[in-house]
Amino acid sequence: MTTTDLVLPPARYEYGGDEFVFVEIDQAMSLEANFKAMTITAALRARSVPGVIDICPSNASYLIRLDPDVLHPAELVEQLRALEESATALTADQVLPTRVVDVPILYDDPWTRETLLRFRDRHQDPDATDLEYAARINGYAGVPQLIDALAGAPYIVTMLGFVPGLPFCYQMVPRDRQIEVPKYVRPRTDTPERAFGYGGAFSVVYPVRGAGGYQLFGIAPAPVLDVSQTLPDFRERSVFPRAGDVFRYRAIDRAEFDQVRAEVEAGTFAYRIREFEFSPAEFLADPDALNSELLEVLYR
Amino acid sequence: MGTIKATMPGVFYRRPSPDADPYVEEGGSYTPGQTIAVIEVMKTFNELKAEEAGTVRRFLIDDGDEVSMGQDIAEVGE
Amino acid sequence: MSELIVHSPGLSTTVQDTGRDGFYEIGMPPSGAMDQFSHRAANLLVGNPEGAATLEATYIGPKLEFTDSRIVAVTGAEAPLSLNGEPVPTWEAFAVKPGDVLSFAMITAGARPYIAVSGGIAVPEYLGSRSTYTLTGLGGLDGRKLAEGDRLPLGEASGARPGVRVPDELRPEHPSVTPLRTVVGLCSYRLTDAGMESFLGTEWKITKDADRVGYRLRGGKLDFVEREQPFGAGSDPANVVDLGYPVGSIQVPGGDEPIVLLNDAVTGGGYATIGTVVSADRDRIAQARTGDLVSFVPVDLAAALAARRDRRSRLDRIKSLVS
Repeated sequence: MTTTDLVLPPARYEYGGDEFVFVEIDQAMSLEANFKAMTITAALRARSVPGVIDICPSNASYLIRLDPDVLHPAELVEQLRALEESATALTADQVLPTRVVDVPILYDDPWTRETLLRFRDRHQDPDATDLEYAARINGYAGVPQLIDALAGAPYIVTMLGFVPGLPFCYQMVPRDRQIEVPKYVRPRTDTPERAFGYGGAFSVVYPVRGAGGYQLFGIAPAPVLDVSQTLPDFRERSVFPRAGDVFRYRAIDRAEFDQVRAEVEAGTFAYRIREFEFSPAEFLADPDALNSELLEVLYR
Repeated sequence: MGTIKATMPGVFYRRPSPDADPYVEEGGSYTPGQTIAVIEVMKTFNELKAEEAGTVRRFLIDDGDEVSMGQDIAEVGE
Repeated sequence: MSELIVHSPGLSTTVQDTGRDGFYEIGMPPSGAMDQFSHRAANLLVGNPEGAATLEATYIGPKLEFTDSRIVAVTGAEAPLSLNGEPVPTWEAFAVKPGDVLSFAMITAGARPYIAVSGGIAVPEYLGSRSTYTLTGLGGLDGRKLAEGDRLPLGEASGARPGVRVPDELRPEHPSVTPLRTVVGLCSYRLTDAGMESFLGTEWKITKDADRVGYRLRGGKLDFVEREQPFGAGSDPANVVDLGYPVGSIQVPGGDEPIVLLNDAVTGGGYATIGTVVSADRDRIAQARTGDLVSFVPVDLAAALAARRDRRSRLDRIKSLVS
């Protein structure tokens, strides 16, 4: 059986006032750190501890919101330390039941292009588009090659937050193939709804129009947040993404974009979703093999 | 003679945009309900309206200055 | 007819309760009354459960007409109040009849008055709460601040009596510099010792960008420890790998404009946070205005919990006055 040790520094436990406990698994992002956060938070969820209000796995850390009148924050930290002790290794039989989802993206679209051109004075490279800049600093020959890399391998949803429904996604490739970009020098005051952005080593889909500091690469025709809960995927929850989901940001053309938009407007759009038992240990042992399997399952 | 007071804190502007004319010039008169100034706070621009007719004798703070709630912003007469 | 008619909405008045719990993990902040003590005290005075919905105004109070007989109380910020032109007190329950109109003169202390009506504001609940969250337009009245002509439904009133008042010693103070007890930590390792000293030693001025999302402050400069940025964090010294933000936490983009994140804030992001204002003192910052000064007073967890217990015991004393 494959065992992958989660070789990480000891977690740091911090009180966020009287109502929160923040646990930093690592200062740097890695899939190992995220899997450790997911493992500990999943175990805590399974315990249904009275006084725990929210369990928020978040990239290389996690945050717990609690009611200190029911559960003393120091008592919670003791329980979390015990869970950390038991999460130092990942065996192949440890699986995260997850969903693999096809998320269509129109890269280099007219809407985010219009927005990013309005905010060139806040950008590192005022003379290029965000895609041109990202391609150059990541060593790609051009924008098409960067888009191939963005759309080629799936991403894992490592955190939800900022605003309701926003998925932070980390591409499931070894670190030397990770795309990394800075955030804007000064945040924009505007971002189109459903924009596909990238900052640090994370991609996001902005659920609503608003401020933002991530590089703008494209736009999704389908929503991640539906407050009216009319689309079938949103009947139970107004937010689509869940931590641990695997998203494939597939490149589409304008014709498919318009078609999906029409389905969304008509209330008939549904994401292509496949259930999958995801083994972090198997993934860490051979990322490319597992990625091929994921895509095979998704489009079977 | 009286004063017009700021009904909220924020940043005080005498004109609707940097290139526009002031809502009211010093020495100018205004009618009930007329906008005298705007105050920017909580990411919105809020119009300060005259309750009755009058004349602005002089403004007591400059365009773009911070203003506190209840602060006199202009001396006015009938 | 059991409605509240809005003659004028004030500057930014919303329906709020004790907040929407359990959705932080999808990125939804709790919303709810910014000053929970004043919100709960107002409810207690009119015989409501503490979790009933009240109106939270900011800087300018609304003008409201009643359509039936109710008990009303106004707490939080101080302002001369009148009912049909006759003065009525704050922090005290009074009776209203159909056609009565409640209005506010200019606020004299604090920033946010709370208006409780017996029976509570009975807008529909969304995810277990009536609190308004304007960013995505949910909760409250159609997810937005009140507008002229709005009619707010009221719930069934229980048998409260007028005349009960909160004694002065239980009411919040409005000092010239508001001290905010703060548990230092989270990513405070990003600041140099001098940076932390400056953070705690500065009297910070509240800028015009201070609302239910957060309060942006100015007045000092905080230095970061130099480092090679960890993988995935982004290039700015204030950046960290995106993480969750506690409500009340303080982030420092750029090092010169700390932002205290409040009830409608973003739930996470990529800026280092350096500490968290204790929950009881979110009541205090809610009553501090643009242009006012605040300071951060370092406390430990025990003191944060003691402040919370103190707020609870003050509310229990009000409860005992009512029953």
